[in-house]
Amino acid sequence: MGELVGWVFDGLLALSLVLLAARVVASARLFESIVLFIVFGLLMAIAWARLAAPHLALAEAAIGAGITGALLLSTFREIVTDQPPSAEAPKVLVYRLRVLMALLAGGVFAVLGWALLSIEVPAGPAAGEQARALVARTGVDDAVTAVLLDFRAYDTLLEMGVLLLAVLGARAAVAAQPPASGDDLWIGGEGDTPMVGALVGLLSPLIIIVAGYLLWVGAYGPGGAFQAGAVLAALGVLLRLTGRLVPLPRAGAFQRGVLVMGLAVFSLAGLLTMATGRAFLQYPEGLAYPMILVIEVALTLSIALPLVLLFSGSAGIAAGRSQHSP
Amino acid sequence: MSALEVFAALLLLLGGFFFLSGTVGLLRFPDTLSRLHAVTKADNLGLGLILLGVAVHGANLVLAAKLLLIWMLALLAASFSAHLVARSHLRDEASRDG
Amino acid sequence: MSQPALFVLIAAAVFAIGVYGLLSRPQLVRRILALNLMGNGVFLLLVAFARRNPETIDPVPHAMVLTGIVIAVSATAFALAIVRHLYRQTGEVSLGEDRPR
Repeated sequence: MGELVGWVFDGLLALSLVLLAARVVASARLFESIVLFIVFGLLMAIAWARLAAPHLALAEAAIGAGITGALLLSTFREIVTDQPPSAEAPKVLVYRLRVLMALLAGGVFAVLGWALLSIEVPAGPAAGEQARALVARTGVDDAVTAVLLDFRAYDTLLEMGVLLLAVLGARAAVAAQPPASGDDLWIGGEGDTPMVGALVGLLSPLIIIVAGYLLWVGAYGPGGAFQAGAVLAALGVLLRLTGRLVPLPRAGAFQRGVLVMGLAVFSLAGLLTMATGRAFLQYPEGLAYPMILVIEVALTLSIALPLVLLFSGSAGIAAGRSQHSP
Repeated sequence: MSALEVFAALLLLLGGFFFLSGTVGLLRFPDTLSRLHAVTKADNLGLGLILLGVAVHGANLVLAAKLLLIWMLALLAASFSAHLVARSHLRDEASRDG
Repeated sequence: MSQPALFVLIAAAVFAIGVYGLLSRPQLVRRILALNLMGNGVFLLLVAFARRNPETIDPVPHAMVLTGIVIAVSATAFALAIVRHLYRQTGEVSLGEDRPR
């Protein structure tokens, strides 16, 4: 019975994901495509939960659907011109070639997936024992956190570099020509509603608690720097939308410091381990947990601030009521 | 199935029914405000019933407290976004008429 | 069919839809959406692969996808910033060779 329900659920989920993806591509209105893409992200979060990947479900809901959706919608606000589909329909040959390309890509992808799934699994309790012993040596109980910050710490280090590059690149584009109206994102319009103050007052402390909890729980369960950073970034988006944070043309020294902090602390930890005669980011026994914790705190802040700045579309942000406010 | 499980299943089904009617309202009602009315009312009740069903099934106080918190947050978000959508709708209408 | 196999099929379908969108819709924001769909297809493949043995779940693909999600949002934000810049400079939202003449 339970298994059957699971299959029905997975089938419905599969159908919804594929239909939503098709509508995202096919819809005539850009706004509809963006909203459906956000819905697609939320269903992906359910798919991650079904695939026993709670870390990803959390990250997808906060980043994939939340932050990406906010970025897309704020871009849509600025680019309202919905290009009409070009007057003449594409030539039949062109259309067929596109469909052929898509089918080929999907086919190659499916074959690749089939090949991946038929790779032999290291079976037996011995393999599991071995993996658990390795994870235990890192000082954290959660396998995904152990992989992110110890076994494959390089990935995470370089990822922070990519995030920083994205911010710098976006900033270069903004600096070249700032938006015409200063505070274009503020939803208050010509006056605040009492609801906004109540919501911000209730949610802000709660979001900070949740982010701190997610960061802490990452040591032994689903959570960690990414999810905590994304939740904090969501708070930044909320404050930016309600005019509690205003854009600045330049970032102060503090914000620049926070932007590079994750990368700097991570690299420093790597150099320290090298200085004591170990490999880059090979933590000494017993010190792994405190080092990972310090790095994770730095990462959380250095993930949250770039995402807020990217949403804000400005080089810096400052506290304060928007100039529109009564 | 124990009596408790049957009760939980009934709550889940009832919650699903409210979600369904909220969605039907969203698709079938003619204007923004009545659609909003259908979605917020029915979906919030539906979510509450489903979470109650899960809590009864789990029979665990900590779990129930977490689910209650989730419901409260969902209510907060729903009332706030409904308020904003309605406000922007009224403003659009005012600017069209004026 | 196993659960991972079902999700590999979804992944392939979503990826193919993304490729079609990338080829057929010149509007740049739509191209970005299509690229994100393709990325989600790849993520699904990796996580389905992590679950090929129902008893133990491989954490390495999970960590890679988590990194990937953050990279995807960075790239998307950067791409959107460039699109905005292009729009402010030229008033266009597609590239030269794709514009209807």
